[in-house]
Formats: sequence, structure tokens, C-alpha cells
Amino acid sequence: MVKFGIEFVPREAYWKTIYYAIQAEKRGFNNLWITDHYYNRNVYVTLTAAAIYTKKIVFGPGVTNPYLINPVVTAQSLVSLDELAPGRVVLGVGAGDKTTLAATGIEIEKPLTAVVETVEIFKRMLEGKSVTFEGEVFKAKGTKFNFKPGGKIPIYVGAQGPKMLETAGKIGDGVLINASHPKDIDYAVDCIKKGVSEAGKKLTDVDVTAYTSFSVHENPEKAKEAAVPIVAFIAAGSPDIILERHGIDLEKVDKLRGALKTGDFGQAYGSVSPEMIGAFSLCGNPDMCIEQINRLLKAGMSQFVVGSPIGPNVRKSIDLISEKIIPHFKK
Amino acid sequence: MAYQKIVKTIPVKTRETLSDKLVDFLLKSKKEDKMPSDLASTILNQWQQGSLTTEAGLAALLEAAVLLEPEKTMEFLEQEPQLADVAKALKK
Repeated sequence: MVKFGIEFVPREAYWKTIYYAIQAEKRGFNNLWITDHYYNRNVYVTLTAAAIYTKKIVFGPGVTNPYLINPVVTAQSLVSLDELAPGRVVLGVGAGDKTTLAATGIEIEKPLTAVVETVEIFKRMLEGKSVTFEGEVFKAKGTKFNFKPGGKIPIYVGAQGPKMLETAGKIGDGVLINASHPKDIDYAVDCIKKGVSEAGKKLTDVDVTAYTSFSVHENPEKAKEAAVPIVAFIAAGSPDIILERHGIDLEKVDKLRGALKTGDFGQAYGSVSPEMIGAFSLCGNPDMCIEQINRLLKAGMSQFVVGSPIGPNVRKSIDLISEKIIPHFKK
Repeated sequence: MAYQKIVKTIPVKTRETLSDKLVDFLLKSKKEDKMPSDLASTILNQWQQGSLTTEAGLAALLEAAVLLEPEKTMEFLEQEPQLADVAKALKK
């Protein structure tokens, strides 16, 4: 049965994010993902509060990166969280966002290797033994916790490109696919299958997670309106190969990029086309969303993540998802 | 304590609507820095326990709403005939 996850960006005061986290748990969501960007509230402080105020929802960073947070510290944070909420913690890790990391003076080098090494170090740290590791990006020299780590923490690898998707299938317990359209999920699942088979696993051994940009409202126009700012940034950050896959006019995206660069958000959002909204978000009224989620399920998805913006009014949208969408898939 | 006395005057049938409205004011408020951390904890605990429509829950929500969104809160209370006494008590 498909799992429902929800993503929150901790850009507001902690009590708002935690209010929504409690609501998500009450309304039947299985997973809670908190984004990790240095300019928002700290992901682990937010997750700690979530651990305290919830009882059963599974949670983790969605996603952290190994460049800003060393893999050993990531392991320490997750193991500590697992002590607070045993069996409810997962790791979401990816290569990170180029622009965000550049602002901190960090360049993304060898992203694939960095993620593979992070997963390796993370797994070994969780065994509680002394870790000596000589990687291309990371090193550990007799690194060991002064306490006994708890149980297993599933690892989800965030991926978009073919090689990272394949690797994620190979080394991850789950894959977080940054996509909202069946074409992209189809493509991703094909790549994941290669990695899965290389590791001697089945596709069903991996939690194939569609990490979508989602917006729901009884009035589909209001849902779309809320999705526009997010879609603008996704479209602007998408490589040409993905834009072409969706038949999106590259000139329009160039205009959009230009407007975002100069901070002209009015023009930027005005140049978001219906094709862009269709390609980079899953939005509409509950029935329209159900139809689109079904298409992702057919493509091989096993967890559906409701990501930003969620809807014009987050609280009302969570209730709407709980009342009209989740029950359809839990029958 | 004052808020707990005030919420006792709120008719039971309007508690759910009031609670819903106050939560909305708080979540939409841009003055989130005005929320005291102990009050935030109380609200989250009450929410987790499903008690935001009880007297204790409403007292916490009302106190927070008056701190973060005094105009909106008073306007709403004054417009609702059954909550006019609450508005008067808060003004005192």
C-alpha cells in the first residue's frame, strides 16, 4: 500500500512547523521530511521538536548533504534522534544544491562519490565500531561513538540524474526522486531498476519515493496559483534535457531565469506556463490529484511525498488530503 | 490566569469555531517572534492531546492571538455576538 509523506521547509518559527507535523501525524501521514538549508531553521533542531511532539510518524532530513554536514556528524545526529524516537528515524541524503552550497564557499566535487562514501561511513558508524575509511572525498581515522548506537536507520538517497538514480537504487533503502510527473518517475524507475538489479535486490526492496511539488484546493485555479512560485524556481533550475522531455519552450525558461536573476518576481511568475505547472507540480482539486497520483503509482512509486507548497492554506490542505485523497489509496 | 477566567464565559458550541479561527490567525501571523516559547509549548502540547477546544487550550490560543494579532482577534470577537463579552473582558 502506498505511503504518504509530507515535506516541510522550516522557514517559519519552529512552532508552526511542529503544529503542521502534529497535524500530519493525526491526519494519517506516514513520513515527515524536513528540508536542510543553512538559511532556514536547523533541520535537526526541527526534527528533535518533531520527535518530542509526535508518537508514530517516521521522520528524517529530506535531504541533507555531505558537504556542509560531515557524514560522521550526520550519523551522530540521526543516532541521537533514534534514541529519542526509536525506530522512527530515516536518513535522506543527496549531493546538495549547487547554488546554496556556493553561498557557503563550498563547491560540489565528485557528488556521486561523496554520496556513496557518506552512505558507507554512515552504515559503519551505526555498527558502533571504530571506522577507518580512506575515500576520495571523505576520510575517517578510528572514528567511533562513545555510546552504543540503536537499531537500523533506513537510508534514502535523493537523486535526479541517471547515475545518481542508479546508485541510489543500488545503495539505498529508498530513493527520493525530485519529480512530480509520470514521465520523470518512469525514467527514474528505469534507472533505479539497473542499480537494484546490480545489487541483487528487487525493486520492491526499495521505497521508490516521489518527492513532489504539490498543491491542492477545492478550486483547481487556487491550487495552481499557489504552485506557481515553486514551479518558477524548479523550471529555472531544470536542465534542458528535462525541459525538452516535457516539451517546454526553452526561450520561455530563459526569460524566466532572467527575471528571477534580477529579482523581478512578478515577471518571473507571469512567465510560468501551464506546461511548466503540469511538468513540475502535481496540483488541482482532490479528484485531479488522485488521478495524477494514480499515474505515479503505475510508474512504480511506493511513497508519495506532498511537498511545497502543499496548498494555498497549508492547514486546510493537509485536512483536505486526509479527508479526500489518502482514504482513496487506503481502501 | 486571566485568560482562563475569560474562556469560561465562552459558550461551548462556539469553542470549536473560535479555536479554529485563532489557530488560523497564529499560523498566518508574520509576528511569530512575539510568541513566548513556553506559550508555544503549551499550544503544541494541547494540540497533540487534541485539547485546543478545551478551556486550557482556548486560554493559550487566546493569549497568543492577543499577543501576535491583537487587532484581528478583537475584530473577530466583536463581530461574533456570542463572543462580545470576551472582547469586553479582554479590553479591561
